Amino acid sequence: MDSLLMKSNIRNTSIEEWKQKGGKTIGTICCHVPGEIFHAAGLLPVRLRATGCTDDSEGEVWMSSFACSFARSCFELLLDGTYDFLDGIVSSDGCSMATRIYDNYKYYKKKEDSNKFYLKDIGAPRINNTKHALPYYISELNELKAGLENHFGVEITEEKLKKSIAVFNESRELVRELYELRKSDAPVITGADSLKITLASVSMPPEEFNAMLKKYLAELKTRKPLNDYRARLMLIGSAIDDPEYIKVIEDKGGLVVCDATCYGSRQLWEPVACEGEAIASIAKSYLDKTVCPRMSQVSTHNELYDMIIRMVKDFKVDGIVYAKMKNCQVWGSETLYFEDDLKAANIPLLVVEREEIMTNAGQLAIRAEAFIEMVEKEDN
Amino acid sequence: MSKASETEYWRWAEHQWKNPDIPDWQGSLVTAGVDIGSTSTQAVIMADGKLYAYSSIRTGADSPNSAIDAINTAMEGTGLSLPDIDYTVGTGYGRVNVPFADKTVTEITCHARGANFIYGSGVRTLLDMGGQDCKAIHCDETGKVTSFMMNDKCAAGTGRGMEVIANLLSVPIGEIGEISLRVEEEPEPVSSICVIFAKTEVTRLMRAGWPLEKVLASYCRAMAIRVVRLLERNGIEKDFAITGGIAKNAGIVRRIENMLGIEALKTESDPQIAGALGGALVAKDLIEKKGSQNFQKDRRRVNG
Repeated sequence: MDSLLMKSNIRNTSIEEWKQKGGKTIGTICCHVPGEIFHAAGLLPVRLRATGCTDDSEGEVWMSSFACSFARSCFELLLDGTYDFLDGIVSSDGCSMATRIYDNYKYYKKKEDSNKFYLKDIGAPRINNTKHALPYYISELNELKAGLENHFGVEITEEKLKKSIAVFNESRELVRELYELRKSDAPVITGADSLKITLASVSMPPEEFNAMLKKYLAELKTRKPLNDYRARLMLIGSAIDDPEYIKVIEDKGGLVVCDATCYGSRQLWEPVACEGEAIASIAKSYLDKTVCPRMSQVSTHNELYDMIIRMVKDFKVDGIVYAKMKNCQVWGSETLYFEDDLKAANIPLLVVEREEIMTNAGQLAIRAEAFIEMVEKEDN
Repeated sequence: MSKASETEYWRWAEHQWKNPDIPDWQGSLVTAGVDIGSTSTQAVIMADGKLYAYSSIRTGADSPNSAIDAINTAMEGTGLSLPDIDYTVGTGYGRVNVPFADKTVTEITCHARGANFIYGSGVRTLLDMGGQDCKAIHCDETGKVTSFMMNDKCAAGTGRGMEVIANLLSVPIGEIGEISLRVEEEPEPVSSICVIFAKTEVTRLMRAGWPLEKVLASYCRAMAIRVVRLLERNGIEKDFAITGGIAKNAGIVRRIENMLGIEALKTESDPQIAGALGGALVAKDLIEKKGSQNFQKDRRRVNG
């Protein structure tokens, strides 16, 4: 059986076992597709990503070189069979690139008799603080719930939903505990390994994840601290799903101690507060989170950056590495705002362009190394 | 192939310099910096915090050999040999390929440090125009980097791009800048920033009958616009200086100055050695931090 870190692979033994037992899996796109609902339906939600993708040429044929390489690579893996364990895909309208993974796949699936394959896209309001936003999102989630019940012949009861919320909240709590360990002056885990754990959290049954992470945390606490690093870094940006990317930075002596990225801390930070009806509780919690710059408005945009600045203090960060996915309009159009914010807060920032398939490891390495030289404390 | 077509117009002069004020080396602390760039390699030797000697050669296919060639060339006529050098920092693209280096430091850190030495502690904004990339650097009064930005994945706006144009137009690389300034009015810049496409466009302009100076002006202007954007992204603050090989190209420097409305600091020294010089300075710091006592003792022994 795979170790917890090995579960970060898209295809891992947990998914294999799940399928062998006749379990169904649903690929989800973006963080506004709540895993709890699938879990309550007895399905395994697997968050779509492209970790380890080495060729996206087929994806490019479908989506053009204009599409962000993360979306292209995810689509490539849908086409090349990496995701052949999926029984459906559910997407939210996180960004137009991610939505196109769904749209293109739906078009692709048309060619075959695909009634068995569940496809659904839901809307998550970009502007989340109007009186219409929450009711709209609740109705979208209710429609998803009804769709799953109908397609898979299951009943998603209130009780099952509340149980699932508890399981997912436990995952969040354990990940928070993991991040607490990273606040230490001498952390026991690298950023690359921490990302593997949060990737595992979206790639295996949550109960199994919780059990494995509990054991892992106990073992971590006895581990020898890492104290040969030169600087503490925070990683921010969109869909960073590649531990190797972080490893390039860490090999240069910059320990990544925290992050604000799609597959890192972000979706696991706050537990779902279960008050009243379960779907409404899920909707409220998912919509309230300051998760993604797609929700940015002048009135609320500071929330995300306040959070980043708070984390810089809590985790004693020396500098931020912003991995800017090429062609990402959601993060790309934010750059100027937060560069000014960070400058005002006196936080050093390194902006590096990123593509899903890491062909520019050397370019990242030289920038990371120079940045580490710039922010490291003199007495190191 | 005719002899004429084999002329290497891109070839800039390799050179060596030794401080005439230090005729016979008697210093107690000798450090070196070797900067292996993608296109050129420099070695700088410092004695007791003074610039003592340097060399600048073309980076060959074999980086370790280029490093050895550069340091040997720099040591010519100094009476020094490798064991006399207390500490060497390797920097640049090939920094891990300096066989005799005690430590490697990135060229970003080294260039800022070197520029601080060459141009004085007032330097805040630095533009390093290297062989295959360029960097906008902001630094403090000690020459420590406070922010930087590098261009991505493209040789446009770099020395290598200029070499390609020199060969294409059969103009010695050292003359491009001056010739490009002979235009009365600035032409439109070439529209592509890609070296390959720019080459195509330059060919088209020549065919369209543009005089040589106008074509060169068009190319230099495009290069200047490109690096000015990089500088603006990183923030510009006086004093401003340019390092790297392109700092010797007046056609680029003048245009950058005009666009920024700031004059770049000038130096009698060679702006191309800033990286290696920074390396030698970092080496000196490291030794002093570790305590120079031991090193000085060793030195006396070496000198009898």
